[in-house]
Amino acid sequence: MPEFLTILSSQDWQAIQLTLKLCLYTTLILLLLGTPLAWWLSLSHSKLRTAIQAIVALPLVLPPTVLGFYLLLLLGPHGAIGSTLEQLGLNHLAFSFSGILIGSVIYSLPFTVQPLVESFRRMGPRPLEVAATLGASKLDQLFSVILPLCRGGFIVAATLTFAHTLGEFGVILMLGGSIPGETQVLSVLIYDHTEAMNYAQAHQLSLGLLITAFAVLFIVYGLNRRFEREAIL
Amino acid sequence: MISLLQHAAQHCWQHISQPRQLAAAPECQTLTVQLSLALGEFSLQLNNSLPLNGITALFGRSGCGKTTLLRAIAGLDRHANAQICLNETPWQQGKQFVPVHQRRIGMVFQESSLLPHLSVEQNLLYGFNRLAKQTAVRLQPEQVIRLLELTSLLKLAPQYLSGGQRQRIALGRALLSQPQLLLLDEPLASLDQQSRSEILPFLQRIANTTGIPMLLVSHQLDDVVKLADQLVLMKHGRIHSQGPLQQQLLQPELAAIGAMSLLHAKSQGSHNHLLQLSIGQQQLQLPSPQHSVDANYSATSYRLRIQARDVALSLKPLSDCSVSNQLQVSITGIHPAPHPAELLVQLELDRQPLQALLTKQSADRLGLQIGQQVYAQIKAVALD
Repeated sequence: MPEFLTILSSQDWQAIQLTLKLCLYTTLILLLLGTPLAWWLSLSHSKLRTAIQAIVALPLVLPPTVLGFYLLLLLGPHGAIGSTLEQLGLNHLAFSFSGILIGSVIYSLPFTVQPLVESFRRMGPRPLEVAATLGASKLDQLFSVILPLCRGGFIVAATLTFAHTLGEFGVILMLGGSIPGETQVLSVLIYDHTEAMNYAQAHQLSLGLLITAFAVLFIVYGLNRRFEREAIL
Repeated sequence: MISLLQHAAQHCWQHISQPRQLAAAPECQTLTVQLSLALGEFSLQLNNSLPLNGITALFGRSGCGKTTLLRAIAGLDRHANAQICLNETPWQQGKQFVPVHQRRIGMVFQESSLLPHLSVEQNLLYGFNRLAKQTAVRLQPEQVIRLLELTSLLKLAPQYLSGGQRQRIALGRALLSQPQLLLLDEPLASLDQQSRSEILPFLQRIANTTGIPMLLVSHQLDDVVKLADQLVLMKHGRIHSQGPLQQQLLQPELAAIGAMSLLHAKSQGSHNHLLQLSIGQQQLQLPSPQHSVDANYSATSYRLRIQARDVALSLKPLSDCSVSNQLQVSITGIHPAPHPAELLVQLELDRQPLQALLTKQSADRLGLQIGQQVYAQIKAVALD
């Protein structure tokens, strides 16, 4: 194992660090944005819901290149958002960490929202009605009822989002290119190594990712089983 | 509005004078509801004032709007243009809407609603721990645990309890939030016979000892007659009639479901396993209850449920008859019964109404007339 570690170049380490940072930020941002969105989706009877549901699920079916392409247009120097930022004296977001973070958040959105919607639906409105009649305010209900009862949903959502961001490639390549320390994440670096015929290095990183992804999913399904058992009891 | 309140106060006074033992001072509350909504076939039109004292049953067929009304009172659903006041406090009026968690209500839902991630004890204390500092605590956890016999369950998880036990805990939890009003949404509906008997006596015990008024939604006349003091009859989204249960039982709508009467009787102790009861000057004897759940709360008054079919009439007292409970009554009304061959005879004893279901033929043979004094033979009584 130590031998394996020493083989990794500083470029590899930089990519690992960047990837973990991207995954962590994406997960945190999505938990904050995805929770209210999932809550609304699980309760709303509005006609808008179907449209929003479809939009949230888009990244599941769209080729990442399409998503990356449009984000590049939007966030780049000539895009609506990118040019506005330039006018404000800021930088446009193409080929930057902020840019690929936005891309990741959109790309992994369904992986946060769907497990949360599922667990909110499973809980149903009754526990919250009970808590309200017993004097719990909305915020109190969030901490004393929703979080403990939907704990499984939150853990699954967070792990899936993290794992899915880990495997992101197309959007980042389109939007961020391959700038070491800024946008060169593991999946992109593996691509670069392969292009450069550095099969040994590509192999090490690929194997590492494979094992990590398996471990994460194994944990998720294990937790899922445990929570289901708890729910039945 | 003033006249409605006066009316309510009168109601309460009448009620207190009825023979039911109340250890705690009864609280008379008035709930004023204005509510108008239409959802396809379903419509609810209410503009009523409900005096709440003891147990008030909200009775009607499924789909007549009982639960909708209860949820509006609790504040769980917000309907436009509704107005809901408890006594002088507006809960909903114009743009003003007091959110559920700030209304001092306790609610027990139809199915088990214990929070599954909390133990029995934590469930019981959920509301109690969230009381505002200025709330006067009248019911302590120890009292409620004793009252509902929950001591042995405290450390358990809700998943391991029977339906009746869960509802008892839900009831205790609601009580500990020190409510001004308890709302019970068909709390017995999802329970089997065994579980019902685990909770019914407790509902009575709570009404008797805490004095907190309860609004009980039910579509089971039997439960209502066992428990309620007042009955609000709902029909097609409107309040059809309301008043003391005894009088309400004379409503043709209720008689159609199965005519019965409720008599309040005082206990004179028991002798040879026979409970001696008195109604005014008249006496009744009934087998003493075998295993009284409420042994610690020895009753001085009983509720007698009597099916109209179990009452026979004679012009003279019968001596050569196995029925020993004969009461002298006067006829106050004779009405057609659901069956064309039968009549429903309304009787009165000691200002309490009693109903008898007879065939037209028998009534003609006896020549029954309003104002006549007759003897009622009571064949079967259910004792609560």
